[in-house]
Amino acid sequence: MRIKISALMRSFVLVIGSFLLSGPASADETCQSPYMAKITGQEDFVYVWTLGMEGVGDEQDKLVTVDVNPKSPHFGKVIDTISVGGRNEAHHSGFTDDRQYLWAGGLDTSKIFIFDVHTDPAHPRLTKVITDFVEKSGGVVGPHTMYALPGTMMITGLSNNKDHGGRTALVEYSNAGDYITTHWIPTDDNLRGAVKTGQYADGYGYDVRVLPRKNAMFTSSFTGWSNYMMDFGKMLGDAEAMKRFGNTVVQWNLHTRQPKKVFDVPGAPLEIRCAWNPNHNYCFTTTALTSKIWLIYEDKHGQWQSKAVADIGNPAKIPLPVDISIQSDDGMLWVNTFMDGKTRAFDISDPFHPKQVFEQKIGAQVNMVSSSWDGKRLYYTSSLLANWDKKGKDNEQYLKLYQWNGQQLKQQFAIDFIKQKLGRAHQMRFGAYSLYAQKPAQPEQSVLAQWLQH
Amino acid sequence: MRDALWMLVFCSLLTPVWADLAPGYKPLAFKADPPGSYQLPVIEQAADGEVIDSEGHHLKLHDLMGDKVVLLSFIYSTCSDINGCPLATAVFHKISRRLQKQPDIAKKIRLLTLSFNPLQDTPEAMKRYGQGFKDSGLDWLFLTTASEQQLAPILAHYRQNVQKVYDERGQFTGTFSHLLKVYLIDTHKQVRNIYSVDFLHADTLINDIKTLLSENTAEKTLAKTQPAAAVNFLDYLQQPPLGLPAIPVPANNPITADKIALGRKLFFDRRLSLNNTFSCAMCHIPEQGFSSHEMATAVGIEGRTVRRNSPTIYNVAYLTRLFHDGREYNLEQQVWGPLLAQNEMGNPSIGSLLEKVRHLSDYQGRFQAVFGRDVDMMNLAQAIASYERVLVSADSPFDRWYYGKQENAVSDKVKRGFRLFTTKAQCSQCHRITEQYALFTDNQLHNTGVGYRQSMGDKIPQKVQLAPGVLVDVARDIIEQVAEPKPNDLGLYEITQKPADLWKYRTPSLRNIALTAPYMHDGSLATLKELIQFYNRGGIANKNLDPLLHPLHLSTTEMDDLEAFLNALTGSNVNAIVADALAQPVGN
Repeated sequence: MRIKISALMRSFVLVIGSFLLSGPASADETCQSPYMAKITGQEDFVYVWTLGMEGVGDEQDKLVTVDVNPKSPHFGKVIDTISVGGRNEAHHSGFTDDRQYLWAGGLDTSKIFIFDVHTDPAHPRLTKVITDFVEKSGGVVGPHTMYALPGTMMITGLSNNKDHGGRTALVEYSNAGDYITTHWIPTDDNLRGAVKTGQYADGYGYDVRVLPRKNAMFTSSFTGWSNYMMDFGKMLGDAEAMKRFGNTVVQWNLHTRQPKKVFDVPGAPLEIRCAWNPNHNYCFTTTALTSKIWLIYEDKHGQWQSKAVADIGNPAKIPLPVDISIQSDDGMLWVNTFMDGKTRAFDISDPFHPKQVFEQKIGAQVNMVSSSWDGKRLYYTSSLLANWDKKGKDNEQYLKLYQWNGQQLKQQFAIDFIKQKLGRAHQMRFGAYSLYAQKPAQPEQSVLAQWLQH
Repeated sequence: MRDALWMLVFCSLLTPVWADLAPGYKPLAFKADPPGSYQLPVIEQAADGEVIDSEGHHLKLHDLMGDKVVLLSFIYSTCSDINGCPLATAVFHKISRRLQKQPDIAKKIRLLTLSFNPLQDTPEAMKRYGQGFKDSGLDWLFLTTASEQQLAPILAHYRQNVQKVYDERGQFTGTFSHLLKVYLIDTHKQVRNIYSVDFLHADTLINDIKTLLSENTAEKTLAKTQPAAAVNFLDYLQQPPLGLPAIPVPANNPITADKIALGRKLFFDRRLSLNNTFSCAMCHIPEQGFSSHEMATAVGIEGRTVRRNSPTIYNVAYLTRLFHDGREYNLEQQVWGPLLAQNEMGNPSIGSLLEKVRHLSDYQGRFQAVFGRDVDMMNLAQAIASYERVLVSADSPFDRWYYGKQENAVSDKVKRGFRLFTTKAQCSQCHRITEQYALFTDNQLHNTGVGYRQSMGDKIPQKVQLAPGVLVDVARDIIEQVAEPKPNDLGLYEITQKPADLWKYRTPSLRNIALTAPYMHDGSLATLKELIQFYNRGGIANKNLDPLLHPLHLSTTEMDDLEAFLNALTGSNVNAIVADALAQPVGN
């Protein structure tokens, strides 16, 4: 039976994807592509792209589906896993703009696994594996961010097949999974028409985000295969390796995909999160090594600039800020620091002066944070990179859900990914029946009826 | 849950109020890029399908493509979302009006508006819908389909996710949920851009159309690039570069051009590793002196730790001991070491790799043609060894001065450095030269103390570079949280088990040394300056320190001269060899 509330949810969820671009500060799960349909109510599932771990279970990378709807009898339980074969250095994933498919990349083998998440959101199916990404792209290695553009996926690379260094590109694929083109990130040797505003033009890549209303796209810069695959301790002791981190953010023309400006953002800027409010023409990024929040903003002359606006913890102790999550009202930025296992909340109502207002230890190590659209639910996972994770007892691997009431984080559930023989929990993406005009397979009281009874 | 649902209802009710008008209704908020200043790559082939025009004619979508650039939008005529279907039609209308003044462009354009509600949008309905928009005379067709069944494959191909909205009784409300998309299709029936609300604007669409129309001319004017000329390595067999002796070639592995080509292909083929990520060239990188600048010690597949620095492949033909610890004696044997090492290329067995190569389509017939037999353990190694063997590099400024007798080939500083090299600094005791040629190695193994320091050194805080110019001391206990136990390295002792061989490593050649930083078997010295200072101090004291090492008491000027000499050892054919390597497709 199709119920009205389901239709309403579906309608809202889908339509918002098209008018978000010009609407006010509407939210999503706060860090997704603005082109994408959003879950604005209760998510039903979290898909955890999980790294296979030697000595744990089947040792393969897998997509782990966790039921996260509190009304479900399986709340907080793993309800499905799909092992994909091998350890590919599972890392990030992203939905297509219609949110029918989840693309999940492997930073080592450069394979991309495409899952159908719409036919049965509780049980995704692996429908295609792209195995020739490196060859098709002209040598790009390490597909990282899978970012939905209209009808296409923009994929950031991290490395290349010539030297496994950081020189890399953006690679565009059609939603059908076919290669379209490669956009190399500007370097000193070939700025590709971009203006180098500072000292660096390293050609490195990491994340990508867009501000369509400003015809702007931004990329950040991490490091090449040799470093992100290297044992973390070994790398910290390798002076040559430590010289090979990205120091730049690049502004691109979104329409033409041409690089416009290269900004100095020293110390490996990773995740980029752009503000949602149409009057907020700025994005945040954090530098992993130098532990700073940077603001990429449009000045009063319409020119884009970069500026370090806050420290994160004590940079001398390398807290290693990793994932960040912006709230839907642009009021707060969650910043996870891997080494001390903490999540930190920064008040960013004045984007030029972020202030830390909260911190809490989540585990011995923490990497990703994903927020529900209303900011009340925060999910955390533990793994950074297979060879960067902590060793021994500190190598905790988990998915944890917390409730945020504006002042406190209260844990709702925790899943031990090692005890459950799953592996290293990395990136989370949300799924919901409402996206596809579906409801749980088991007959139960209608959501609307339940709501009306309250 | 209650809050979330309330918000949904609230937002749905207010949507018309707070939803701003899409950019397509307003002046473009940014400057549109000039036509032809950018490219629109092919996204995919535009799908075909059965459609009906507003006169009731049955057509194929492909009948309406090919002769003109096409803009295709999917709408339904009763759509009331101002930023949905009406936006697509409004932008089409604006384009048609604008192009009235540009008839040369207008005649090359066709607009297609296709309904995804065939039950209501009959040909007559589409005719009525289109009547108000056809005032410009532009070729604009309003299409529908005979049935939802006929429509479905079209929507599927264009990935138009359309869902009917039902009321609480399960009745279709007459409205649809969908993501607005408009497709730009070229004359080859290829999709070249897909627009959603943000870029659906007459300015950007017209410029994109003009960009496509300008393409044919542009393609004709594209200059053809010439492929880089390959190095004729066989010449080196007849005449090695100045300063080197004849290339030693094993009797059972004569070098041929085809064998070099096959070996080169294998050398750059990442599929030679277990998980297809690692070729020989990933550690022996042509542009980095066939070594690796970017890390002190290497990593293998899955980032597994390798204990030592990647040695250069240049001039390996002349080495009688291979690997830093000298455990192999010829290239044909050496090749299998990295292929089978669990922490390098990770192949689980000889047979599994041979089977893999045997079935790769681009190797079909290659081994037969070169060796007269299928790939096997011997000939795979022979092919790679043959390529490595001809990577000889000399004819450096030093060679042209010392052996070529060109007095001006090097500066006086270099000449002073050379004299120090052979006298006070005593470098040539291990890095040997003769009157006829210079290998700059004695092919022996020595203890300089570097290995001793690695094994026996104290746990001092680690200086870590966080960004250029930003260094911090990091406590060891922090590093150890994320560090696997460091594997020990005992050098030649691991091969001979003789205590006297502790921490002995092979003397590397110094040819092309300016290209192969960082230095020593563990890559612990970043620059030539550091290297010279290390030897000036006499190495690192330990029980087995080579007696040849002792403090040299070189002055700063003398060390500068020595450095100038080392910088004069770069071969003249390096650029050609690198270009040859880069022209080789990487096997992925």
